[in-house]
Amino acid sequence: MLHQQKLRFSTRGRGTYNITKQITEVIAGSGIRDGMCHIFIQHTSASLILCENADRSVREDLDAYMARLVRDGDSLYQHNDEGPDDMAAHIRTVLTQSTLSIPVHKGKCDLGMWQGIFLWEHRTNSHKRNLSVTVMGE
Amino acid sequence: MVFQDTIKLAPQQKGATDITEIVNGLVRDAEIRNGICQLFVHNNHSSLLIADTADENTKNKTQEYLAMLAPSNDSTNRQIDASMNAIPSRMRTALMQTSISFPIRNSRPALGAWQGIYLWEQAGQPDERNLTITIVGE
Repeated sequence: MLHQQKLRFSTRGRGTYNITKQITEVIAGSGIRDGMCHIFIQHTSASLILCENADRSVREDLDAYMARLVRDGDSLYQHNDEGPDDMAAHIRTVLTQSTLSIPVHKGKCDLGMWQGIFLWEHRTNSHKRNLSVTVMGE
Repeated sequence: MVFQDTIKLAPQQKGATDITEIVNGLVRDAEIRNGICQLFVHNNHSSLLIADTADENTKNKTQEYLAMLAPSNDSTNRQIDASMNAIPSRMRTALMQTSISFPIRNSRPALGAWQGIYLWEQAGQPDERNLTITIVGE
């Protein structure tokens, strides 16, 4: 069995957004009990990560670490048509994931207790982000 | 249904080479309408990447950024044998992906408007690269 659907999220600037609930709902709606869930983000300046879901400061620290690793407005960049965060957002995406695949067990995302699925917005402005979710199994 | 094929990609210059059209052709041949496609590259000196197609600068600058993170002349690199940059190219590959996956919708890769598929060659003296494509779907 295969179920495929699109999800659309509005982000409010740079940071991580917990999308675990929406992905769980897609899996529940698919009627698939055991298999795999594949999540794909159709953008090159936002990405997907699995991350600790309990303490918000983990994700704030991750964002601060990334800001140090990939500096906005670095003189290295030529591609800055849309501002100092433009090229930095592309590099941040390359260093993280455009795809996540997660096992589905008994109709649910088989995540660890402290794992959450996050959309990571790398641009400083608000954006609309499209995801394609595919659930396969039986 | 499962479709699988391994193709040889001709040696490419260091940097990103757009392979979206090659992949589109393979996906068409597979005759699977909806599902998931995985690409896998069989070596340690090149990686696969979904990146921005709009501006060449985004790819060139990402390459320069990676060269900064894993420079060829770093004194921590103990292995200087076949290729002077054997270790840095492996490090860069480790920071990126040897396999990527994306959804297939209506027999085409369901990529975003500005997303393309790239082989990212990190080695100074590139070789022919084996690429395996697996599509699972219906």
